[in-house]
Amino acid sequence: MTRRGIDFHTHPLLVREMIARHPELATAARETFQIGNNFQPLETFLLELDEAGLEKAVILPIDARTTRGTTVYSNEQIAELCALSDRFIGFASVDPHSPEAPQALDRAVEDLGLRGLKLAPGMQEFFADDPKLFAIYEQAAQLGIPILFHAGMSWEPGTRLKYGHPMRFEDVAAGFPQLKIVLAHLAWPWVVDAVALALKYPNVYLDTSALYFDNPRDFLQFAMNTQVPLTVFERSLRKQIVFGSNYPRVEIKNMARAVRGLGFSEECLDLVFRANAEALLGGAR
Amino acid sequence: MKIKLKRVEVQSRKDMEMIDITGHVEAAVTETGIHDGIVFVSTCHTSSGLLVTEGIECLERDVLAHLERLAPKEPPPGTYGYWHNRYLDFDGRLGFNAGDHLKSILGGIQCFFPVENGKVVRGGRQRVYFVEYDGPLARTVLIQVMGEESKA
Repeated sequence: MTRRGIDFHTHPLLVREMIARHPELATAARETFQIGNNFQPLETFLLELDEAGLEKAVILPIDARTTRGTTVYSNEQIAELCALSDRFIGFASVDPHSPEAPQALDRAVEDLGLRGLKLAPGMQEFFADDPKLFAIYEQAAQLGIPILFHAGMSWEPGTRLKYGHPMRFEDVAAGFPQLKIVLAHLAWPWVVDAVALALKYPNVYLDTSALYFDNPRDFLQFAMNTQVPLTVFERSLRKQIVFGSNYPRVEIKNMARAVRGLGFSEECLDLVFRANAEALLGGAR
Repeated sequence: MKIKLKRVEVQSRKDMEMIDITGHVEAAVTETGIHDGIVFVSTCHTSSGLLVTEGIECLERDVLAHLERLAPKEPPPGTYGYWHNRYLDFDGRLGFNAGDHLKSILGGIQCFFPVENGKVVRGGRQRVYFVEYDGPLARTVLIQVMGEESKA
């Protein structure tokens, strides 16, 4: 099978080789992130990509040292995993409550070669439009990297939905027009609000990694065809949607099949699965 | 009587796949030195199976296709749904693979054979398959051999 495309939203929490090297990652997976699947060899992750027909995956950490006392993968661990396979694209995370966050981001990109920033307002307990975050956004814009924000509902224990409302990202989109931001999970349940932001701000992207009930096929039909007609995504936002699975909360194969089954044109599917992600990552050094 | 349990890891490479593990079963019997008894094989996972059938590719395809017809991963839209399609708080994810659990139930998860003169006694066309219904995953298969060692 020819593999093309990128999964823009994965968490490498089950990789057995990394847990053997860093046993604390098991606790982060089970307790902080809360995922119960069996740990798996690295090969399983790559086979998941194969089964979905994709070439690469963005792997995401979360720096929750202030709010949870831990990282769910550190930037160094993400870089270490990227060194094990050229099919991984590593993102950084920084603790938004740390005054050193901009410098940490700079080191992660310049020294570790990471290519984007992941922030999780729910787990990290911040509002994206809090001015204390602006120095981080300025640093990201200067580095030419995208920021992927968790948006919408969070499954992680203790997280509050209020941090994920799309309207909390408007000041970021408007105030930092050079910065590309991705709102994950279609910001569900606020899909209409997230779509409104993306329609108004060309630097706002949405990822497809949404599954909150039923199965990927039926959920995405609801979110991307009932809540908002599919034609809106196809005609107006085709260059602002990226494929994301949220693996391992959802298998990559299942989310890929659901997105391919929505009814997009072949041209739009190529944008969603490949071209838009490449464009987002293109600015990163 | 001697009883030995061996755990074998099987890496499935596809969503659904039949993997011939007859060689693992025979090797496990040989390793134990048990001369006469039984060998019991079981999968540890509820979205996988253990089957015995003829070892030809066309039949492998038919087995998987028929089980998928009986218990589809996604029922035809508008027909019926699975109760399992909901958030499982103990797993931190949705459980939308009821069809794969049902295949496991329909196809079974265990098999056993007699052991005679240190060899697995099976029909000439019978092969032992680990069956993946929700891969790719690294899976564990249990092979337990019970019996008497050679008196010689």
